[in-house]
This record gives sequence, C-alpha cells and structure tokens, in this order.
Amino acid sequence: MKNEYIPKLARIVSIKEEVDGQRAIKTFRTQFVNKEDFSFKCGQSAMLSVLGKGESMISVSSSPLINDYLQFSILKSGRVTTALHEMEPGDVIGIRGPYGNGFPIEDWKGKNLIFIGGGIGLAPLWSIVQTAITKKEEYKDLLLIYGSRTSKDLVYKEELEELKKKMTIHLSVDNKEPDWKEFVGFVPNNVMDKKPLPENAIAVTCGPPVMIKFVIKALNDLGFKDDQIYTTVENKMKCGIGKCGRCNIGSHYICKNGPVYSWAVLKTLPQEY
Amino acid sequence: MQMILSKMNFSSWLKKLNSYRIFAPVKSGEVWSYELVEKPENIILDYPNTIIPPKKVLFPQREVLLEFESSSEQEIKLKEVIPEETPSVIFGIRSCDASGLAKLEKIFKGGFEDLYFSKRKNQTILVGLACNIPPSPDCFCTSVGGSPYSKDGLDILMTDMGDEYYVESVTEEGEKLIESAIGLFNDPEENVKKELEKIHLESEKKIKRYIKDIDKISSKLPEIFETEFWDKESLSCILCGICTYSCPVCHCFDINDEVICTFPLKGKRVRTWDNCQFPDFTMHSSGHNPRPDKASRLRQRIMHKFNYFNENCMELLCTGCGRCISKCPVGIDIVEVLEKVRVYEK
Ligand SMILES: Cc1cc2nc3c(=O)[nH]c(=O)nc-3n(C[C@H](O)[C@H](O)[C@H](O)COP(=O)(O)OP(=O)(O)OC[C@H]3O[C@@H](n4cnc5c(N)ncnc54)[C@H](O)[C@@H]3O)c2cc1C
Ligand code: SF4
Ligand code: FES
Repeated sequence: MKNEYIPKLARIVSIKEEVDGQRAIKTFRTQFVNKEDFSFKCGQSAMLSVLGKGESMISVSSSPLINDYLQFSILKSGRVTTALHEMEPGDVIGIRGPYGNGFPIEDWKGKNLIFIGGGIGLAPLWSIVQTAITKKEEYKDLLLIYGSRTSKDLVYKEELEELKKKMTIHLSVDNKEPDWKEFVGFVPNNVMDKKPLPENAIAVTCGPPVMIKFVIKALNDLGFKDDQIYTTVENKMKCGIGKCGRCNIGSHYICKNGPVYSWAVLKTLPQEY
Repeated sequence: MQMILSKMNFSSWLKKLNSYRIFAPVKSGEVWSYELVEKPENIILDYPNTIIPPKKVLFPQREVLLEFESSSEQEIKLKEVIPEETPSVIFGIRSCDASGLAKLEKIFKGGFEDLYFSKRKNQTILVGLACNIPPSPDCFCTSVGGSPYSKDGLDILMTDMGDEYYVESVTEEGEKLIESAIGLFNDPEENVKKELEKIHLESEKKIKRYIKDIDKISSKLPEIFETEFWDKESLSCILCGICTYSCPVCHCFDINDEVICTFPLKGKRVRTWDNCQFPDFTMHSSGHNPRPDKASRLRQRIMHKFNYFNENCMELLCTGCGRCISKCPVGIDIVEVLEKVRVYEK
C-alpha cells in the first residue's frame, strides 16, 4: 500500500529565470533520482517539497508526452516558493502526486481550442498547448491569447516566439510600452478584440481570479456556452488528497475533484476561491 | 454474541487482554480523557463525557509523518515514520464517539488511503459503553441518526445493568475478545434481555436536546448561504477553535516541517490538528482569503457537517456528542443555530 505523504526525491536539472523582480518566476526541470512512475494528465499538479520548509502545490507545465523531465513554473511567493527560487541545478527536492482531475482533453478532439492565460496562469495551460501542438492532427485550430502586466512579466518569452510559427498567438500588456507592437489592455479586452468564434470550440482560461471572471463574461458575450468554457481554481492546499479539509468549495475538494472545472459546474458552487 | 459479565469479573477480563494496549477514560484533574492505561484493573467505567473524543488515539493531535536528513542540497535522506502495529483496545467509548470513528474511517480510508490512520484503526478494537444517563446535558445524538446505545462503529457494546454488564459483540473481532476470556461470561436470561431493552429505551428519553426536521435543515442550508444570518450567528466567536478540536469527526489538519538542526539539515514533517475557524486556515500566500470572516467560517463548519458531507457520503458529519456546545466559551450552540436555520426567513 502506497504512503501518499512520502515524496519521491527528484533532482533539479535546469532552472530558467522567466521574470525577475518583485514577482519573480522561474521554470524548473526535474528528474527523479530513482526511476518512478509519474504518469499524469494535462492540468494535474504535484506537491513539491523543500525539506525543512514545507510543500507547495504546483501545476506540471510540461506535456505528459515528455518522459525525461517534469517542468514547473513557479512564482516566488512565500516560504516554500522562495526556498525553491534559491535552489540551484543539482539540488534535490521532493515530489508527490500527480493530483487533481486534469483537463478532459480526450473529449476535445476535433475541436478548435482557445487558450486564454494571464501571468503565471500560462503554466497549467502550457502543458495542454504543448500536447495539442504535438498532436496537432487531433485538433482543429489552436489559438492562444496571453497577457501580463508588463512585457517583462510574460513567461516563456522565447518559446512563445517559436510557437508563433505553429499556431496563432495574441499577446498583450496592461499599459503602453515603447517597443510593444501587440495589444495594449487587459486580457478580457484582448479576447473581445480578437473575437474567437464559439462554433465547435472550447475555451480554457487560467490566471488571476479577476481576469478569469471577466474572460468568462467576454466569452459568454461572444456566444460561448458555459460548458464550452474551462478554468482552474486555486485554493490553499496541504494534503492534496482530500483529507486536510481546507481547499473545498462547497462539497468539492479542489485538490481531488478539481482544479479543472467547466464554468457550467463552477458557477453552481459557492464562490469560496 | 450476547453475554453477561459480572462487574467483579471486569478487571479479570482486562488482565486476560495483556497482549493488547488498553486505552480507557482516565481522570486527570477535573477532566476525563482517553489514555493508555498501565494498570487495567484501575479502569472504572463511570465517567461523564471525555474532554477530547477517542479520535485522538487513532488520529493524534500531533504526529510525525516522515523524518529527513541531509548533509548537502544534493543529498537527502527520507524516512517514513509509520505507526507500529500494536493491537489495542479502547474501552468505554460512547456511541456518538464510536459513530464518529466510523465516519473518520470513511474519510481517511476513502480515495487515497491514509496509512497513518488506517494502520492504527485496523489493529484497534472498539468497546463501547451505552449511556444509560446522557453523559452531557448537551447530548443530541438521537437528532442526527444516533442513539445512546448505537452499535455503529463498535466491535462490542457494553451496557451497565447495575451489578453486571450486558456485553454484545458486533463484529468478529469483538467476539474474539469475549471468547478469549469466555469463562468469565454467562449467558443472559430472557428477563435480562427485556431489562436491557427497557434501559435502552429509557436512556433515549433522557436526552434533553433535540433538532427538529434535520433533513429539511440540511437541504435548506444552501438557500441561506448568501444571507446575513451567518454574520449574526458568528458575531461572538473568539476563534478559539475548541469546537472543532473537541469534535469527534472534525479531521482537518496542517502539515509542517519542524527543523531540529539546520546544518546538517535534520528534521521532521509533522501533521497537527487544524481548524476551519482560524483565519489563516484558507489564506493564500498572496493574502487573499476565500473565507475571510467569522461568518464564512461558521458557515463552513455548519455546511460541512450538515450539507456537504451529506452530499458526498449520504450522512451527517455530526454525532450529537454536544462537546462544541458545552465547550464554546461564548455560547455558540449548534443545536440553536440549526433551529434558527429551520425558522429563518429571508
Ligand atoms: C492546483 C494548484 C496549482 C498551482 N500551480 C501553481 C503553479 O504552476 N505555479 C505557481 O507559482 N503557483 C501555483 N500554485 C500556487 C502555489 O501553490 C502557492 O503559491 C504556493 O503554495 C505558496 O507557497 P509558499 O510556501 O511559497 O507560501 P506561504 O504563504 O509561505 O504558504 C504556506 C503554505 O500554505 C500553502 N499555500 C499557501 N498559498 C497557497 C495557494 N495559493 N495555493 C495552494 N497552497 C497554498 C502551501 O502549502 C504553502 O507551503 C498552484 C496552486 C494550486 C492549488
Ligand atoms: S468554540 Fe465557540 S468561540 Fe471557539 S471557535 Fe468555536 S464557535 Fe468560535
Ligand atoms: S488540500 Fe487537503 S483537502 Fe484538499
């Protein structure tokens, strides 16, 4: 019988600085020290441990199709995430999981997929974007609308430039910047500006709660039905397995029943997130 | 199996159980609590409700999950710390607390199995004592699907019959415990069985607190989610948390690393009881808090017990022990709150 609370040791193999300053973001790639089975679905997360500091739930941002590493993009925030930001390649962390329901991408075959992200919210989307690009023949058009406060706060900058060759990407920043040629304004406004069509489409949005709220409103205005809109919810977590009792919204434990919800379901739950 | 055990033989039965660790209510100062008993012959099954329910034996307030050690960032050793397999018996469990343990078992064993709880639970035999007189004036087990002589969650139920105990096994484990000292037990006479029934029925009538229409209240709760009802009811709460610590089914916990030495790094990952009435229970690292006030936290406590758990497991997450009522320093009374929900009009 598996003891769910014991993490597997993993070595950080590379660290990339995505954003620096107050709201620093780094992307970590890790490999398990011993051979471990960690099959996961897009949208699932892992509990990362810095021994002596504690644990944090982080979305796996790499694709499940990649076997030789797991990737996490982490915003420096409190105790554990700050300790992670201080680590170096070669250092060892703990990983347990995968946890959560993940995106139902099997049901999305043959559809247009629209990804809408804000800030660090691109991390959980990145896993599906990478998967969908690799299996492009299974989906129709892929579109990414992504923005952050300033151009410095965008994650995966180089990867996005590369990706533009394979799919349509619309970026945005909140305020005017000298060399910025793309959209200026909030992400929901960019959605209204680009007007993705709802026919045979699924829209997936991740980001700060206010952004999600207005993106959903924009999508509704564009004719997207509630069950065509997916998002992820974040709440404080400790166990990750539906026992410690803190991540619930109504009768749902986000760590177990979530974090992925269609808006049709999420709107029926109490707004405790 | 139904047997009679003379009170004089009770300690002889306990002595026979010397291969088990024995827990029972023990008085220390003014309060009773479940403790490991060194001299089982000193156990007296005559006590009011314990301050903390027996959940603490299977789910301790503080427990080590693992130990870690590292001499450099590149080298880490983890050691799983799992409870030892020592067969145990808990004596003198009230029916409400026993059904609480049955509910905890569903929570901890369902889905991802929590080995820390289940290792202890699997080797612990639960011996109950029916409440001929309610151990607390705040008991309301009969309103939430229980009774003072319910066998739910127990391996054995004992009933005090004056000079003797009526001892009923509920499970095979319970039966074995009786059989291990069968010479001490007698078969009950027909009239004793009748007497038992009478005692049980009488005991039910002695319970003073009652919640009317609990099912209706359960389904009405979501309707009043967004009302000022909760502000009013939670106003006096001082966030002490005793309501949930003393609850036989509250199981929320925190996990933290305790560092014993920073270089070389040495420490433990520890889980401790936590509490939904505390502000930082749900507070994100960003400072955002989905349950930012007393109102939303009291609402969570009531909703979890009487609505959410019902939705997930088709039963209530309350056993009617009354501890949260007796212990709350500001008099927040769950039975009263539910009655107010029942009559509340928007
Ligand atoms: C399903 C899910 C996926 C996530 N994915 C990412 C991601 O890809 N990248 C990223 O940067 N962040 C992500 N987060 C948020 C991240 O978990 C928190 O920022 C992080 O736990 C903060 O921990 P800390 O120790 O630095 O902060 P502290 O404030 O010191 O927090 C102490 C502890 O509380 C818990 N905690 C506090 N805030 C949160 C929170 N918002 N969510 C969950 N647990 C919390 C953690 O156990 C944490 O260790 C995700 C959260 C969830 C629920
Ligand atoms: S026991 Fe009373 S005062 Fe203490 S947290 Fe519970 S409701 Fe609030
Ligand atoms: S994180 Fe513990 S219940 Fe969800």
